[in-house]
Amino acid sequence: MRIDTYITEYARKSPHNVAIEEGKNSISYSCLDEDINSITSSMMDFGHCRFAILAESGIQYIKMLMAVYRSNNIAIPLPIELPMFSLERILDTAHINNIIATETQYSRLGEDFFECFETVVVVSNDTSVKTLRKRIVREINNPDTRLVLYTSGTTGTPKGVMLSDRNLIANAGSIIEVLDIIPDDKAAMVISPHHAFGNSIIDSQLMAGGSIGVGNMNFIESTFSLIESGISIFYGVPSTYRMLLRHPERFKKAFGNVRMAASAGGGMDGVTVKNIKESNPDITILPMYGQTEATARLAYLPPEDVDKFGDTIGKPIPGVILDVFDADNRPVGPDIAGELVAKGDNILIGYLDDEMATEKKIIDGWMYTGDLAQKLPNGYFRLLGRKDDLIKIGDHRVNPREVEKYIENNNEVTNVFVVPVPHEIMGNAISLMVIPGQGTDVENLHAFCRKNLPGYLCPREILFIDNPPLSENGKISNRSIIEGYQNVKKSM
Amino acid sequence: METIKKDILNYLNNKSFMDGNTQLNDNDSLTQNGIMDSIGLIELMDYICEKYSIEIPEDMLTPENFDSLQGITDLIVKLTE
Repeated sequence: MRIDTYITEYARKSPHNVAIEEGKNSISYSCLDEDINSITSSMMDFGHCRFAILAESGIQYIKMLMAVYRSNNIAIPLPIELPMFSLERILDTAHINNIIATETQYSRLGEDFFECFETVVVVSNDTSVKTLRKRIVREINNPDTRLVLYTSGTTGTPKGVMLSDRNLIANAGSIIEVLDIIPDDKAAMVISPHHAFGNSIIDSQLMAGGSIGVGNMNFIESTFSLIESGISIFYGVPSTYRMLLRHPERFKKAFGNVRMAASAGGGMDGVTVKNIKESNPDITILPMYGQTEATARLAYLPPEDVDKFGDTIGKPIPGVILDVFDADNRPVGPDIAGELVAKGDNILIGYLDDEMATEKKIIDGWMYTGDLAQKLPNGYFRLLGRKDDLIKIGDHRVNPREVEKYIENNNEVTNVFVVPVPHEIMGNAISLMVIPGQGTDVENLHAFCRKNLPGYLCPREILFIDNPPLSENGKISNRSIIEGYQNVKKSM
Repeated sequence: METIKKDILNYLNNKSFMDGNTQLNDNDSLTQNGIMDSIGLIELMDYICEKYSIEIPEDMLTPENFDSLQGITDLIVKLTE
């Protein structure tokens, strides 16, 4: 089975049921299935080749994604919200010969951007398909690969997570079970569909025969109207909820009929949970934990334990085994800290064209999450931070060392240090401590960041310092930088 | 009205959301042209509320009112009348 075969099944069983709604448009399962078929025909003779997908969120994107699946090719969605240099870095590493794009994206990026592709397929708003050029290049791919999702495309070296049909179906199945999704459920997708979280909303809703309401977080009133249009399951990262809760009265009205508020991509803090509960005492709050390498989800916190165990990630979703291992890859007992590891049908095949990274990620069938954790006596897991020093900003994982290098290499500075600082909505934001060089200019630095980094990485503050914030043993780490930052602040 | 428009343009330039080379017409979409994302919009909204001593009701936070220079200018004019 592939995800798109479920659409065909529902097109037969309940052809008129709505599959996707987007603004004033909606599409039934039978129309969706037909449209996927007509796009599929343009890619049928490729035989398991890589196809980049460039499309906005919504109906068009889902049709194109499913058409790549149905034509037995490999989908590589490009996150359109990323700045150009990030997209180019992904393209540099992903070796993609073919691209399918919406007309909107084609005219936005211009012909030059598409020059490097052998095959260019453009899908117009009415789903008519134009093949601008076509040359089939034989590729050698892992035979199970269906979807490649890119992580850390903003600053770090982008890594393509290879997922199989089995991965996608296993994880969607677990999510359906945990959330008890039925065909009457309409889920809101206000986050990007090009990453694991958004993708899991598409898969689990369509596999359950439910519907998806597509929106975004740009204009709060439009978001609230979407929620009021009959949404029963709302999905967000914690910062999504914090943004909506800036308008408590409106939140209360909009969420009155929502049965479930699900979250992933970071722990839900107690205040946010309390505020949601106060707005709608009947709502079920479901915090989940996962990562792209696990297709999406690994664990969930059963709703009845949200108050008591709110500082944990709860227990594994059905079909997943979690454990905590020590540095020698051996399980440790309860309450001992180690690395969280996972097993299940949702665990990635590996990283695209990167065997070394794959060997580090999957050892003896266990996937190493990179998160430090401890197992509680009741079988729940508590996270204790990242093994390395990534900073979580909204739903993005940011490697501060790479951001520093990028700013240093492109500006007149001696050294740059990224300081994680609290941010009311994103959880974290960054400030910079800079050892200036000749001609360092705060305004220029600020402008550079605004222009070249995604919005969430724009520094709140830039401070000049004289010496690097080293730890006692002479190393730079998030901790030494934060301590240095606090000392600078104290002396100001 | 032109003063308000200029002020917002200055804000976008000063905060480096765009630079002097960016061509922005009064009715161009800020979000679809990659000038603003949801966090940027919140910053802009806070700036406008403070600068013009207004509160923007939630039901006005729609693309019609908040996605273009013209929309935002009209909104401020309406709320300061």
